[in-house]
Amino acid sequence: MTSFLEPILAPFIGMMLTTIVIILIKVAIVIGITLLHVAYATYWERKIIGFMQFRLGPREVGWFGLLQPIADGVKLFFKEDIIPATADKPIFYLAPVIFFVSALTSLSVLPFFDGFAVADINIGLLFLLAMSSLGAYGIVMAGWSSGSKYSFLGGLRAASQVISYEIAMGLSLVGVMIMAGSLNLTEIVKAQANYPTGFYAIPQVLGFFVFFVAMFAETNRLPFDLPEAESELVAGYFTEYSGFRFAMFFLGEYTGMLIMSAIGTLCFLGGWTLPKFFMDLLPFLSQLPPIVWVVVFLGKVYFFMFMYYWVRATLPRYRYDQLMNIGWKVLIPLALVNIIFTGTLKIMGWF
Amino acid sequence: MVLMKKNSLIKIMFFTEILKGMALTFRTLFKPAVTRRYPKVKVPAQPGYRGLHALAKDNTGRMKCVGCGLCGAYCPSQCIHIYTTEGEDHNKVVDRYEVDVARCIFCGFCVEACPFGAITLSEQYDYANYSKDAFYMNKEKLLANWDTYFEGEKGNQYFKKFWRPLTEDFKGNPEQAMFSKIPRKEKR
Repeated sequence: MTSFLEPILAPFIGMMLTTIVIILIKVAIVIGITLLHVAYATYWERKIIGFMQFRLGPREVGWFGLLQPIADGVKLFFKEDIIPATADKPIFYLAPVIFFVSALTSLSVLPFFDGFAVADINIGLLFLLAMSSLGAYGIVMAGWSSGSKYSFLGGLRAASQVISYEIAMGLSLVGVMIMAGSLNLTEIVKAQANYPTGFYAIPQVLGFFVFFVAMFAETNRLPFDLPEAESELVAGYFTEYSGFRFAMFFLGEYTGMLIMSAIGTLCFLGGWTLPKFFMDLLPFLSQLPPIVWVVVFLGKVYFFMFMYYWVRATLPRYRYDQLMNIGWKVLIPLALVNIIFTGTLKIMGWF
Repeated sequence: MVLMKKNSLIKIMFFTEILKGMALTFRTLFKPAVTRRYPKVKVPAQPGYRGLHALAKDNTGRMKCVGCGLCGAYCPSQCIHIYTTEGEDHNKVVDRYEVDVARCIFCGFCVEACPFGAITLSEQYDYANYSKDAFYMNKEKLLANWDTYFEGEKGNQYFKKFWRPLTEDFKGNPEQAMFSKIPRKEKR
């Protein structure tokens, strides 16, 4: 998309700088759009959960409450930044930064449509998993450095939860890697587009299910929001944070949700593509401009985001031992079965 | 037994309970909300609601209150203060009639006690204010409340609908112990 800039800029500032400028423009676009999505993800969450509970959700700020996220943001930025006296200050400062940065860094490898990714690297999927586990460090450090028992318990819970669910999530994605034969997200999407069903969720039902459940646990969302269980731990690991530091955790959490939705879309629902049989049926679709495929991609992401809200509005929180049971005794064996199953079929040449 | 076990296994495997719950929340998504947007849309009070006080006026626009002081005597929280003086032709003149609304418990005993149907409780329920003085009602404010909240037929109907109108019916309940029922001799 930004390649048209190359012939314009290159004669003036050289090839090297042009590449950097183009990358910076891409980064600005991706971060800008994502943060806008994060802001309105909170709005839609409150709206949808409100309607599911016979309420109206935000109504007062702007038309239908559409300016509510902006009002919330302004409020957070101008709040007093309180640091507890017992806090371990350097770590306390560092924790939200790690959490937020690791969430934002994950964005760099996501292809939003064909050929648009900040860094289209060959180990994209692995990079995403690495970044999401790096985010757990932010949570653990926040819990440890706050000097509060609630934060500490929240941090401990987050650590064990994220680590155990990361295994299930990684294993559930192995099936996709085997089928696509690549870790590059663009390659995975292209492999899906050429697959008869058009997306991997159909042959990879088990993997999709495991991913779907692990997705909730990984982003600390209901029904697995034990690290920030309001009724038990005040707010869990970010109890002692306020103002902009709290906003960084908040933004990081919602960015994490968007990234998990994007991973689910790219690996299981065919990313920005539509199934091949559908494309053959309506051949004019392939002539459409790339903006249409961004919309297709975002539509699938919104589906996942809606599932987050829907599940949150429906299910109560799991008990901690139940959470661990599901993770270790159900999801990991299921994911392993899925790998063996997929691998066998691959060797036999069915996939 | 085996069949039951099979059923429960299917229930566990396919999360039927969770899916039922999800279906319920999804259906609820399209149902109208029960929210009342209060300051913008006010809910009318139920008839007979005991809200802000008002002093009734008769058809000629004069205050019905004669300053007998029964309401003040009956008031459990003692928030009614009446000051009277002797008028020109030896009648009672109500100089001040004050209700400390902040102390009132809205029991409605004053309305019951009043033999002339002079003190009323309107259906007005939102009169929040920043100053305490706004809750100290004097005679002028109370009479103005009557004009605001009991305009026209509403004021005429108020006692007949919700209170036994003592102005029309002084007879007590036959079961009730009353001085008039007691024979003269015993009374001595």
